[in-house]
Amino acid sequence: MPETSYSVLGIFETPDALMKAIPKARAAKLGEVEAYTPYPIHGIDDALGHRKSPLGGMVLVMGILGAITAFGFQYWISAIDYPIITGGKAANSWEAFIPIMFEVTVLFATFTAGLGMLFLLNKLPFFGHPVLSSKSITGITRDRYALAIEAEDESFDSAAAAQTLKDAGAIEVEILPAPDRSPFLTSNFILRALGGIFTACVVAGLAMFFLTKWFPLLAPMKYMQDQPRLNAQKASTFFKDGHGMQQPVAGTVARGFLPTATGTQEEAASLVNPLPRTKEVFAEGRKVYVNRCEVCHGSLGNGVGSLTAAYGGKPANLQSQMFREYPDGKIYWAIVNGKNAMPSHAPYLSENERWAVVHYVRALQRAQNAKDEDLKVVAP
Amino acid sequence: MKLDAATSAGDIPEGLLEPALTVGRVTPGSLDDQVLAFPETKPPKQWYFALAITLTAALIGVISIGYTFITGIGAWGNSSPVFWAFDIINFVFWVGIGHAGTLISAILFLFRKRWRNAIARFAEAMTIFAVICAVIFPLIHVGRPWLAYWLFPYPNQRALWTNFRSPLLWDVFAVNTYFSVSLMFWYLGLIPDIASMRDRTTSKLRKVIYTILAVGWRGAATHWQHYEKAYLLLAGLATGLVLSVHSVVSFDFATSVVPGWHMTIFPPYFVAGAIFAGFAMVVMVLVVVRETMELKNLITMRHLDVMNKVILSMSCIMGYSYMMEGFTAWYSMNEFLHHGFMNIVTGTYGWAGWVTISCNILIPQILWFKKARASYFWMILVAVGVTIGMWFERFVIIVISLHQDFLPSAWRIYKPTMVDFGVLLGTFGIFFTLVLLFARVLPVIATTEVKAILPDAQPSHHGDEHHA
Repeated sequence: MPETSYSVLGIFETPDALMKAIPKARAAKLGEVEAYTPYPIHGIDDALGHRKSPLGGMVLVMGILGAITAFGFQYWISAIDYPIITGGKAANSWEAFIPIMFEVTVLFATFTAGLGMLFLLNKLPFFGHPVLSSKSITGITRDRYALAIEAEDESFDSAAAAQTLKDAGAIEVEILPAPDRSPFLTSNFILRALGGIFTACVVAGLAMFFLTKWFPLLAPMKYMQDQPRLNAQKASTFFKDGHGMQQPVAGTVARGFLPTATGTQEEAASLVNPLPRTKEVFAEGRKVYVNRCEVCHGSLGNGVGSLTAAYGGKPANLQSQMFREYPDGKIYWAIVNGKNAMPSHAPYLSENERWAVVHYVRALQRAQNAKDEDLKVVAP
Repeated sequence: MKLDAATSAGDIPEGLLEPALTVGRVTPGSLDDQVLAFPETKPPKQWYFALAITLTAALIGVISIGYTFITGIGAWGNSSPVFWAFDIINFVFWVGIGHAGTLISAILFLFRKRWRNAIARFAEAMTIFAVICAVIFPLIHVGRPWLAYWLFPYPNQRALWTNFRSPLLWDVFAVNTYFSVSLMFWYLGLIPDIASMRDRTTSKLRKVIYTILAVGWRGAATHWQHYEKAYLLLAGLATGLVLSVHSVVSFDFATSVVPGWHMTIFPPYFVAGAIFAGFAMVVMVLVVVRETMELKNLITMRHLDVMNKVILSMSCIMGYSYMMEGFTAWYSMNEFLHHGFMNIVTGTYGWAGWVTISCNILIPQILWFKKARASYFWMILVAVGVTIGMWFERFVIIVISLHQDFLPSAWRIYKPTMVDFGVLLGTFGIFFTLVLLFARVLPVIATTEVKAILPDAQPSHHGDEHHA
C-alpha cells in the first residue's frame, strides 16, 4: 500500500448499484467523484454533475474553418495564381469548388472530433494513471463498475473515502497512489517498443538515403524514355544522306534572322538602330553581352575578358576612341559578320538581340567616359 | 421504439416488440470471453488454408501489377476509345463495397438501430479494406504510380496547380477523405475494445502492443462522455460521406458528355448501387464468420434477415434506376442515347447487360419470402449474384458507353487481357487476406457497443433508450 494515497476505488457489480452509490459518494465531499465503467452508462453524466461536452462547438468551428480554407485555397489557385480556363468556365466560377469544400470540411471536422476528443478533452494518451495499474482494471474493462473518490491532495482521507464507498455498497475497495505524471508513460516495455519504432524509422530513412544515393538512375519503367524515335545528331538509314536531322529547305529563313548588313562595314555605317532606348532593351542587351561578348571584351568593354590571357589574342577595346566614334551600324556589322578573330554571331542572335547589344555597348562606353551632365540626368 | 417503464411488454402486440438482440444468456463477461478470445487462441487449420488461398490470389495480383509496371499500360486491354476499362470498373466496384460499412456504422447509428452494434465493427473493417483495394486502381492506371503525388495540389518547381474543376480531382479528395474518416471511426470504436484486450492478455508482447493502441483508455465516465459525443459527431459526418463519395465517383461519368454517362440520375443511382453491393459482401462474409467463429448467439438470424431486407429494397431502387435509364433514353428522343441504351440490351455486350439485370433485379426478388431470408443457400446465392451483377453493372456503364460513342469511325470492341483479370483477382486476394488477418488479431464484434445494449446493461430507471 502506498504511503500517500490519492484515490480510492470502490467496485460494484451492477450499473444500478453504481448509480445508487454516486449521490452518497458525492455527498461525502471527500474529493472528486469519478466512475470507471466498461461501456457508457446512461444518466451517469447528470449523476456525476458533468457539464456538457464542448466537442460539438469545436467541431463546428473547425468544420467552418475547413470550408473557408478549401474555398480560399481553390479560389486563389484557380482564379488568381493559375487562371487556366477549362471547360469554358470563368476562372472564378466557384460552383466547381463545392465538392472539395465539402470533403475538406468533413476532414477538418472529423480530425477535430476524433483527435480533439482523445488528446484535448480526454488528455490521452496517458499511461501513468493509477487506475491502469490497479488490480481492478481487468474488471473495469470487462464487467465491473467502479466508483472513485479522488483528490490530488496530501491531506486526502483515504480511510474515510474507503468507508464511504463500502457503506454505499462497494463489494471491494482499492486504495490507489497519485497519477505518475512522468513523461507520459510508465512501462519500460512501452518505452522500448517506441524506441524500437524510432530506430526502425531511422534505419529505414538511412537505407532510403543510401539506396537513392547509390542507385540514382534506378527507374522502374524506362519505356517512356527509350522510345523508338529519331534523335537529333543520330544517324539514320531512312534518309538518303544518312542523317537523322534533315536540312531545312533551301532559302528557309527563321523569324528574326533575315540576312542584314550583307555589304561592307562602310556600307553598314548608315544603318540606324531601330530599338528604342528603354530599360527592357538595355536589360536584353546586357544579357546577350554577358553571355556572348564578355569573355573576350570584358565586363567593362575594355578588351580584358576572362579568356583574354589564355587565348593570347587581342580583343578590341570597345572603350577606345575609334570604337566610341563608330556609328551603330558598323558595330552591328561586326556582330553580324565577325571581324578579325571574332566569328559571326548572326546564327544565334536575332536582329533585335544584335541591336540590343549595340545599345548596351553604347551604354558601357558612356558609363566609362561619363561627363558632368550625365550625373545631373541621374540626380532627382 | 421507446417503451415506457410503466408499460408492460404484454400490452404491446407481438409483431411490434423488438426481438432480443442476442440469443441465449450473454453477459458482459461472457461476451469478452467469447469475442476477445480469438486473438488469444491459435487459429484453426482451415484459417491457414483460407489464408493460403487468398495470399495466392494476392500474389497473382502483385505479379500482374508488376508486369503492368514493367511493360506499361499496354499490358491491359484498354485501347481507343475504351480508355477506361477494368481499372475504373474495379475502382468503382471496390469503393462501392465499402459503403455498406459506413452505412451500418453511421446512418444506422443515427437512426438508433441497435442491431447494428454487433455487425458494425466487421462492416467498418471491410470498408477500410475495400477502399484500400479501390485506391490501387487509379494509382496503377496513371501508368507511373511513383508520380501519383502530382494529383495533390502542392507548391512545386513546375509552378503548376491542379485543376479544381475536374471531377477526377474531386475523386482524389473524396476517396482520401473517405479513407481517413473511416479509419478514424474504426479506430475510435476499437479503443475501448483494445483496452479490454490489454487487460485480459497474459502475453508480454501483446500487452505492449495493446497498451500503445489503447492510448491508456481507462473507461472514466468523463472520457465516455466526450467519446460518445465524438462518436455521434463522426457518425453524422460519415453519413454525409456515404452520400457524397459515390456521388463524386459518379460525377466522373455524369459531368462528361458521353451518351450513357451524361445523366442526372447518376449520383443517387451510384449511391444505392454501392450500398447494395456492400451489403451483399457483408452478408457473404458475415455468414462465414458466424459459422466458423461460432458467433451465432451474437450475429443472429435476425441480423441477416434485416440485411437481406436492405438488399431487397436496394434491389428495387436499382430496378427503378435501370428503368429510368431506359425511359430517359426514350423520352429524350436523342438518337445517341437511344443507341447507347439499345447496346445494353441487344448490342455486342448485351449479355453483360442481361447479367446485370438478372443478378441485380431478378434474383434478389426471392428475398420477398421470409424463408429465403432465413436460408443460407438463398442469401448466399443472392449475395454472390449481386456482387457479380454490380461488377457487370459498372462494366455496362463504362465499356458499353465508351466503345460506341458519337463517332462511328472510332468504334471498337474492347477485350480484357489476362493481366486485367490477374489484377482483379489480386484485389480480391488482398481484400480477403486483410479480412482474415483482421478476424484473427482484432475483436470482430464491437464488444463495448454490444455490452451497452445487453439486458440489464443500463440502470433500470432509464428505460431502453440506447447510446452506443
